[in-house]
Amino acid sequence: MSGLIEKVVIAGTLICGISMPLLVDAEVLRSSNEENGLEKWHFIAGDIEIELVQRLPDQTRALFMQHEFSREVVEGLATSCMFQTIIRNSGKSGTGQPVSIDLTRWRMQHAGKVSGIQLKEPLIESWSDADASPAAKLVVRWGMFPTRQEFLPGDYNWGLTAYAIPPGAQFDLEVNWKEDRILRSGEIRDIVCAPDVDRLK
Amino acid sequence: MKVFHGILVALLLALVGGVQAADTLTQITGDVPAPDFTLQDTNGKTHRLSDYRGKPVIVNFWTTWCPPCREELPSMNRAWHQLEHEGVAMLAINMGEDEDTIFVFSADYPTDFPVLMDQSGEVIEQWPVKGLPTTYVVAPDGSIAYRAIGSREWDDKALLDKVRALK
Repeated sequence: MSGLIEKVVIAGTLICGISMPLLVDAEVLRSSNEENGLEKWHFIAGDIEIELVQRLPDQTRALFMQHEFSREVVEGLATSCMFQTIIRNSGKSGTGQPVSIDLTRWRMQHAGKVSGIQLKEPLIESWSDADASPAAKLVVRWGMFPTRQEFLPGDYNWGLTAYAIPPGAQFDLEVNWKEDRILRSGEIRDIVCAPDVDRLK
Repeated sequence: MKVFHGILVALLLALVGGVQAADTLTQITGDVPAPDFTLQDTNGKTHRLSDYRGKPVIVNFWTTWCPPCREELPSMNRAWHQLEHEGVAMLAINMGEDEDTIFVFSADYPTDFPVLMDQSGEVIEQWPVKGLPTTYVVAPDGSIAYRAIGSREWDDKALLDKVRALK
């Protein structure tokens, strides 16, 4: 029955050109690193895998303090709820489909409010030369996850994603992606930003 | 400070430990020319990509602060030891960092192949790179033959045989 519904939605999407995503049943595994206590959310739906790994604000401070950012910018980045993010197309080479993501379409829900996630382009544009040197901007340009990317089977990429909410805050995230030309969506619930304390064991 | 740095590096590597390196290369279809560049390596030698015409060239984009980049460097070095006498070139292009940073880093991650410096990021912008690391295999005619997004086990025989087959 669910297969029939999926076919109807796909046909409707193709015929009408509606950009409404197809809601997909996904597996979301939540785990904790035994060594450092950091939590991870692993989203699996068909050939796409998305991993969000907590980053302590101190880790982010350590990364950006090595570069020419103002103290205010480093603090802003450190406390913007960053996750180490890995996206993979786990499809088989030769038979798998390309998967593409567009982070401008991802939506988060925090404290009853729905919003987009923090993207790197407006962040970089908001900085003056005093806030960040050109070399420092390159670190964010290449350190944060690409806003749009296509993954062929076997491809994966990693980078930082930011959610612009305080350390320790909780949110739900609607992720979406295109696979086989169909826009699909799934949800990761109860994601928790790393708190701004040293939780290393 | 060095101990702290070591712990930080280990922690970052642990964070991406769940990612398994695929030993695959994605074939690039059509005639896609590799953008030419001229860059200095960490020893002051100038390298121009088009000077390598006639042999396959592995071009890797990386930074010291990118955990998967660090993850694949040892296997790249092992691969280089297999390839250096086989008419295959390997160029690792560091993005945005200076010679001192790379020099300090190389104490922990020694490489014997040329490490080029793209401090302004101008070269990487000419290539279709989305994230780091990304590696391209350039065919002897100067076209892009393969691409790998993310880290790989570069000394994998099947992977290297694809590179060798371009000769």
